[in-house]
Amino acid sequence: MTSTGQSMSSPDAFSESILSCENITKSFLGVNALNGATFDVPKNKITALIGPNGAGKTTLVNILSGAMKSDSGTTHLGSVDVTNLESYKIARMGLMRTFQLSRELGGLTVLENLLVAPKVQAGESLFNIFLRPRLLQREERQNIERATEILATYGLYELRDNRARELSGGQKKLLEISRGVMAAPTVFLLDEPMAGVNPALIDRIAGYILDMKRQGMTVLMIEHNLNVVEKICDFVIVLAEGKTLATGRLSELRANPEVVQAYLGEVISAGTTN
Amino acid sequence: MSAFWYYVFTLVFFLFDYFILAMGLNIQYGETGILNFAYIGFVAIGAYMTGVAGMPNAGTSGQHYILGLNLPFPINLIIGGLSASALAFLVALITLRRLRTDYLAMVLISLSLVLYDISNNFIPLFNGADGLYNVPEPFASALKLTTNSFVPFFAGVAGVVALILWFFMSRITRSPLGRTLRAIRDDPTVASALGKGVFRYQLTSMLVGSFYAGVGGGLLIQFGGSFNPTAWLPGETFVIFAVIIVGGVGNNVGMLVGALVVETLLIHLPAFLPAIPGHPGLIEYIDTMVIGVVLMIMLWFRPQGIVPERVRRSKFLLPDFAPSGGGAVITPTGPAIPTEEAAGAGPPFFIEEKDV
Repeated sequence: MTSTGQSMSSPDAFSESILSCENITKSFLGVNALNGATFDVPKNKITALIGPNGAGKTTLVNILSGAMKSDSGTTHLGSVDVTNLESYKIARMGLMRTFQLSRELGGLTVLENLLVAPKVQAGESLFNIFLRPRLLQREERQNIERATEILATYGLYELRDNRARELSGGQKKLLEISRGVMAAPTVFLLDEPMAGVNPALIDRIAGYILDMKRQGMTVLMIEHNLNVVEKICDFVIVLAEGKTLATGRLSELRANPEVVQAYLGEVISAGTTN
Repeated sequence: MSAFWYYVFTLVFFLFDYFILAMGLNIQYGETGILNFAYIGFVAIGAYMTGVAGMPNAGTSGQHYILGLNLPFPINLIIGGLSASALAFLVALITLRRLRTDYLAMVLISLSLVLYDISNNFIPLFNGADGLYNVPEPFASALKLTTNSFVPFFAGVAGVVALILWFFMSRITRSPLGRTLRAIRDDPTVASALGKGVFRYQLTSMLVGSFYAGVGGGLLIQFGGSFNPTAWLPGETFVIFAVIIVGGVGNNVGMLVGALVVETLLIHLPAFLPAIPGHPGLIEYIDTMVIGVVLMIMLWFRPQGIVPERVRRSKFLLPDFAPSGGGAVITPTGPAIPTEEAAGAGPPFFIEEKDV
């Protein structure tokens, strides 16, 4: 539960917490990127992580996903302490993530990018490759069927045999998100999924995120587009200077002078919402 | 058998042997992205261990070496391969968890030099700088093979071994394991974020690739009957790199083509040419330069190699698979957004300006 001393809405108002962090600190060569970030992410909701540039949002996603180790503090996935666990172990527990700049597996085809995603595959064992070929074929067939459906949903089906490095920026965003969905995560961390994509695609990606929630996933997304946040996010966490400034619904946060001063004010004065 | 055919079968042997060596380096570098600059060290361990597993006790041979198990072919060859894998296991445990590509490469070059110095100077191990000689020729006495008839026979044996190993390697690289290795090659951070224990897969790749190195080395020592440190100078690793770069990194067929072009045509064929009058050994130096030039030309004009890594198209992943509904009926549309704007009335709502 949050304990920053600020007046904050609790995710309990929505549902139980599935991902939480407490007093996370992280510094790079003496510069504090995170300075005691603490919050809970409600289960089966879409939560936005917002804040000014340099607030530590991506660093936090890196720590939550195990790509980076924190200096202190704890993170929990459900009731399991996953503090500083290796990223592949956290992923196997059901937490997937995307990256701020899309990171496709460029030498693999679009379809193969999705086929890599299932966390544990019998076909990744030397023993099974040579001694259980039928099991492999069955598993591969199921994975291809599922990947094909996801690619069709995300509008990438026709590109299935293209190498991922050949895709456009927007297509790479879609590929990265669909690859995460293929892994059927419990919690999906999206690092600026709308960044650098055209308005129509923003619309579609927002729809996909709503669909993830319908499928039972929990989404935590870093997002600067407040229209998107307002439309699809159930809960908002504001990060500033490495600390949790406030949490709650966006409508509540708009009434919070500290949030307006630290982040929302910037957006309004800049005359842009994306 | 005429000298011509003797040379031809010698070239055929080296073609198959370097095909095996290239397949081993390809799974490590081409498929997994491990820059193994100590690869020739694993070849050497395989050669030495195959030798001492097949040779009689050292006391009877006048040489100094360990083991001397007097085991028959192919058991000694398998021991050679497994020994290289065992060394790879130790090296991987120490290096792969901690080091990234470039630093790993530097450490592996150092390892190669250390292995070389140990084998060159520590005589009780593999007879020091003299190396092993009088290594038994497989089946030579049983089949009453002469020196001349052994060469085509063993070239055939190497071909059979290469065929078997190619079959196994194809199964691996076409499997989900091969796909995961290539994912790690492309971006280990992403692979890890997808739940892949990168170290485990890199270790698998090192073990398999080093087994191939060891078997390739084992065939070398049995073909020539001897093996010493001059046969595996650390720079030899880069010849095998040239094989896979010229052939086509990430493609097993490319390994055979690379072995043909680099090892057979550029390295061993010129060795059979008559020396340039007054300049003995000059051909060897020209040869080295030619390899360098070929490598530069390939990297400049065709970095993907003669036979590039193939795109694994969906119809080849499962030949008889057709997507539900035949694929064409799957309409690529996003899920509907439950708002009136998304229903088509008015402009796309996410770009409209709102009062905050």
